[in-house]
Amino acid sequence: MLRFTLERLVGMVITMALVSVMVFIIMEIPPGDYADRYAFRKFSGTGVSVTEADVQAIREDLGLDKPMVLRYFDWIGNIVLRGDFGQAFAFETSVVKVIGDKVWLTLGILLTTLLLTYAISVPVGIYAAVKRGSSLDYGLTVFSYLGLALPNFLLALILLYFANKWFGADIGGLFSPQYQDAPWSLGKLWDLIKHLWLPAVVLAWSAVAYQIQTMRATMSDELNRLSVTAARARGVPEGKLLLKYPARLAINPIVSTIGFDVNRIFSELPIVAAVLGLTELGELLLKAYLDLDMYVAGAILLLLTFIIVFMNFVSDLLLAWLDPRIKLGA
Amino acid sequence: MLTVENLSISFATDEGRITPVQGVSFSVEAGKTLGLVGESGSGKSISTKALMRLLPGNASLGDDTKITYWAKDGKEIEIHKIKPKSRALRDLRGGEIGMIFQEPMASFSPVYTIGNQMMEAIRLHRKCGKREAREIAVEMLNKVGISSPAERIDQYPHEMSGGMRQRAMIALALSAGPALLIADEPTTALDVTIQAQVLDLMRDLQRDLGMAMIFITHDLGVIAQIADEVAVMYLGTIVERGATRDVIRNPKHPYTQGLLKAIPSLDTLHDRLSPVPGDIPSPTERPTGCPFHTRCPDFINGICDVNEPPEVGGDAGRSVRCWLHKEPESGRSAA
Amino acid sequence: MSDATANALSKQEEKERQQRLKYYSASQWTLIWWRFRRHKAAMVAGVILGVMALLGIFAEFVAPYGPTTRDTQYIDGAPQMPKFCDQNGCSARPFIHGVSTKRDPVTLRAISVPDPEKRVYVEFFVQGERTKVLGFIPTNIHLFGLSDPDAKLHLWGTDDLGRDVFSRTMYATRTSLSIGVIGVLISFVLALAIGGVAGYAGGMTDNVIQRVTEVVRVVPIIPLYMGLAAAMPKEWSTTQVYFAMTLILGLFGWPTLARRIRSQLLSIRGEDYVVAARLAGARPGRIIGQHMLPSFTSFIIVDLVISFPYMILSETALSFVGLGLRPPTVSWGVLLQQAQSVRVIEQTPWLFIPALFVVVAVLAFTVIGDGLRDAADPYSEAK
Repeated sequence: MLRFTLERLVGMVITMALVSVMVFIIMEIPPGDYADRYAFRKFSGTGVSVTEADVQAIREDLGLDKPMVLRYFDWIGNIVLRGDFGQAFAFETSVVKVIGDKVWLTLGILLTTLLLTYAISVPVGIYAAVKRGSSLDYGLTVFSYLGLALPNFLLALILLYFANKWFGADIGGLFSPQYQDAPWSLGKLWDLIKHLWLPAVVLAWSAVAYQIQTMRATMSDELNRLSVTAARARGVPEGKLLLKYPARLAINPIVSTIGFDVNRIFSELPIVAAVLGLTELGELLLKAYLDLDMYVAGAILLLLTFIIVFMNFVSDLLLAWLDPRIKLGA
Repeated sequence: MLTVENLSISFATDEGRITPVQGVSFSVEAGKTLGLVGESGSGKSISTKALMRLLPGNASLGDDTKITYWAKDGKEIEIHKIKPKSRALRDLRGGEIGMIFQEPMASFSPVYTIGNQMMEAIRLHRKCGKREAREIAVEMLNKVGISSPAERIDQYPHEMSGGMRQRAMIALALSAGPALLIADEPTTALDVTIQAQVLDLMRDLQRDLGMAMIFITHDLGVIAQIADEVAVMYLGTIVERGATRDVIRNPKHPYTQGLLKAIPSLDTLHDRLSPVPGDIPSPTERPTGCPFHTRCPDFINGICDVNEPPEVGGDAGRSVRCWLHKEPESGRSAA
Repeated sequence: MSDATANALSKQEEKERQQRLKYYSASQWTLIWWRFRRHKAAMVAGVILGVMALLGIFAEFVAPYGPTTRDTQYIDGAPQMPKFCDQNGCSARPFIHGVSTKRDPVTLRAISVPDPEKRVYVEFFVQGERTKVLGFIPTNIHLFGLSDPDAKLHLWGTDDLGRDVFSRTMYATRTSLSIGVIGVLISFVLALAIGGVAGYAGGMTDNVIQRVTEVVRVVPIIPLYMGLAAAMPKEWSTTQVYFAMTLILGLFGWPTLARRIRSQLLSIRGEDYVVAARLAGARPGRIIGQHMLPSFTSFIIVDLVISFPYMILSETALSFVGLGLRPPTVSWGVLLQQAQSVRVIEQTPWLFIPALFVVVAVLAFTVIGDGLRDAADPYSEAK
C-alpha cells in the first residue's frame, strides 16, 4: 500500500509540473505583459500619465524583462517556496489576498455537489437496473438524455426563475446581503448552507444524468453474474444480496471517475457562477480572464487542476482499497 | 425426498412465448444421485433452477407443475407454491438444497474472502455466532481437501487455483448443511485429472453426509461414475431414463445411443468419434412430432415428424419416448 | 397440397434465400446502415439534424430578414402567430394583424399597437431584402414573408433592438453547427496523428504522449478554452475570431479519441496481418491507414458523433459569457448572451428560443451516436 501510494504521489507531482508549464504558456499568450496592462489601466482609469520609463521600471522591478524560461521558474518557484502567486493588478494587491477564502467556498461547493451527485445517482441507478424495462426506467433514460443536453447556465436561469416565483426571494449568490462581508460565524455558515443547494443542484445535474446511466449499466451487468445467482441460491435475503454482491462491484466505475466528475464540475463552474452570482474561484477566474489579469487566472487554473489531480489520487486509493484484485504495489 | 411432476417452464420474450421445458417428471431419493444428461439447450439447467425458484422474472411454471420436497424435519414443502422473497424460500435455498456451478471463479464474488462468503451462508442457516461459523467453515474446507484451511479461509477467490476454487465452491454449498445438492456441470471447466479428483471428492462427501444429489452434465462418461439413476433430456423433455447401468449398457433411444458413441474410449481410439449430427434446434423452432426427428438416424417418415411419442415404461423405472419402441397406431389414438 | 400453394411456397422460400444472400454478401457499412435504420429514435434524430443543417445552410433564403436588420416598429416584440380566424371571420390564407403607430397617452412616446382591423397575409417565396444565398447566389426571394412589403412578420418575436429572432436563429444555426463540424474535424486529425503515433510506436514515445494527454485531460476544459479565448486580441475581425474559436475548440478535443485510437492500435499491433504487412516492407503510414484503421473505423465515427455535443455546448458556453464569438457574428451562444437574467424569462421569454436549438441539436447528436454505436456493434444482432 505504501509503495502504491508513493508511486501515485510521484505521478501526481509530474503531472502538476507539466500542468504548470501549460498554465504558464496560457498566461503568456495574451499580447503585452503585466507592466503594459498595468500602465494602460492606470492611465485609462485615472488619467495619470504613465511614461514608458515607468512601465520599464515596473517591468524590471517584477523581473518581466527576463527570458520566458527564467520567468517560468521565478513564477513557479515563488508559488512552491513562498506560496506567492504574484500580483493581481485589478485589485492592486497580491493574488493570494484576492483569492483568500474563496478556495474554501469553492471546495464547499465542490463537496456538496459531489455528495449530491452520488447520493442521487447511486441508489437511483441501482433501482433502475433492478427494475429494468419498467416505465420508471424509461423515464430515467429520458431524463438522462435531457440532463446531458440542457446547458447548465440555462438550468441555472430556470431554477432562479422558479425560486424567485415560489419563494419570492433572490436566492442567487452564496450569502445573504447582511452576511456578505461579515466575519465568519455560525450564522454565516448556516446562511452559506442555505445558499449552497442551488449551485449544487445545477452543477450536479449533468453529473447525475451521466452517473445514473453508468450505475445502471454496470449494475445490470453485475446482476447477470453467476455470483449473484449463487448467493441467491444460498438463501441470502434479496435486499442484502443486492447491496453486498452486485452493488458493491458496480460502484467501482463511479469511484474511478471521481476525478472526471470534479473536472466537469470545475469546467461548468465559471459559467454557472456568472449566472448565479457566486463569489468563488470560478467567478473570479472569469473576471480575471475578461480583465486579462493573468496572474490571478493562472493561479486559479493551477489550483483547480491541483484539486482535480488530488481527487484522482484519492479515487485511485479508494479503488485499490475497494477492489482486492488491484494488486497493491504493482 | 423430491418429486417433480409435469414441470413446464415458459419464458415471455419479444418473439412470443417459448417453452423450453415441457412435462418433465422425475424424483430423487434420499442419499441417491440422479444424473441429468443433455446437450446445452436441452433445458437441464433451467429445470434445476426451477427447483430453487431461481428463474428470471419473465419465466413462469406450468399450471399442472408440482414440485414437492420433504425437508430435513420431515415437513412437506410444495416448492411451486412458495411465495418469492418469503422466509420459507430463503430457508429452502442453501439450507435444504445447495447448488454448485460450472464456473467456480464466476460463482464467488471477487471482492470478499472465501471465509466471508462461507460464514455468511453458515450464519444464515445455522443459528450460531461468528466464531462458531468460522470453525464450521474451516472444518468444511478441510473436508473438501483444502490444505491449511485456517489460512486459506482469508484468501480471495483469485488467489486460488481452479481446482481449489471448485473445492471451495463445494465447501461453500455444503457449509449450510443441505440435504440435496444440485451440481450444475461442476467438473466441465476442469482439467481431466482434477475432474477425477473432484468427482471422487463429491462421491465421498455424499456418502459421509448422506446427501442426495442431482448431477447435471453433458458427459455420459461422468454419469457412469457418479449417478445411480440417469435421465436423458432433449429439447426440454426426458427422452430416456432408468438405472445408470441399464441405460449405458442398453441404450434404447437413438439420441442416447448417439451420445454414447460420442464418448472417447480405449476401444474407439483408432476410429473417428461419431458425434450426434446436426445442432439442437432453438426452442423457438421446436419441431413437430418427436423433437429429435430432425437429427435421428432411424427417422420414420410420416410418423416421427407428425406425432409426439408417448413415454413407454419398462421395469425398474426404465422408460423411453420413441416410436421405435412403440407401435405407432396406438400412439396415434392416444394423441 | 396443391401445385399452386407449393409454387407460392417455393417462391416465398426463394425470396427468403435471396434476402439471406444479400445479407451475407453485404459490406460492413451496408450492415451498419441496415441496423441503424431500425433504430427509430436515431432515424428521427437524423432527420431533425438534417433539417437543422438545411435551415442553417440556406439561412439567407429561409430567414425573411438579415441577422442585423432592425424593425424599430417592433422592439422587444412578442412572437406573431399567423392565424386563420379573427373577430371578422375566417380566411383560407394565414394572416397576422398589421400594426399602427400611436403615441403613448402618458409618455407621448411612439408605440406600436396592433390594429385588429388590418390583415396582412403570409405568403411564400416573396420578394424581400437582397442577399446572397451561400454567399454567392444573389436573390431577393425568401421562403416566406408578408403580402405588404412594409409590414414585417416576426414569427419568434424581436429583441431589444428590434432584430428578428427567427432570422437570427437561422444564421446562428449555421455558425454553431459549422463551428462544431470544423472543431470536430480538427480534433479528429489531431487525435489520428497523436493516437496513431503513440499506438504504432509504443514504448518511450507512447509514454511521453500518454503523459501529455494526461495533462490535457486533467485541466478543466472550459476554463482552459476561456484562457485561450481571452487571449484573442480585441481588435480581431469577426472572421478571425471565428477561425480562432474553431481552432481552440479543436485543439483540446482530441484526448478521448486519441486514447481510443492508441489502445485499438496497440491491441492489433501484434495481429498476424499487421506483422505480415510490416514484413512485406510496407511503410508505417500505409500499415496504419490501409491495414489497421479500417478495423475500427466505425468506432471512430461513433466517437466523432458523440464529441459534437461537447463542441456545441462549449461554444455556446464561451460565447454566453462573452469569451467566444462576438457580435455582430450570431451564434446560439451569442444570441443567448441577451438572455442572461431572470428578468428576460419574465419579460421576453422568446429570446430563449435559440436555447431550444442547442438542446435539440445536442440531444439529436447524442441519440444518433447511441444508434450508431448499437449499429456498429456486430454483436447487437444476437439479441
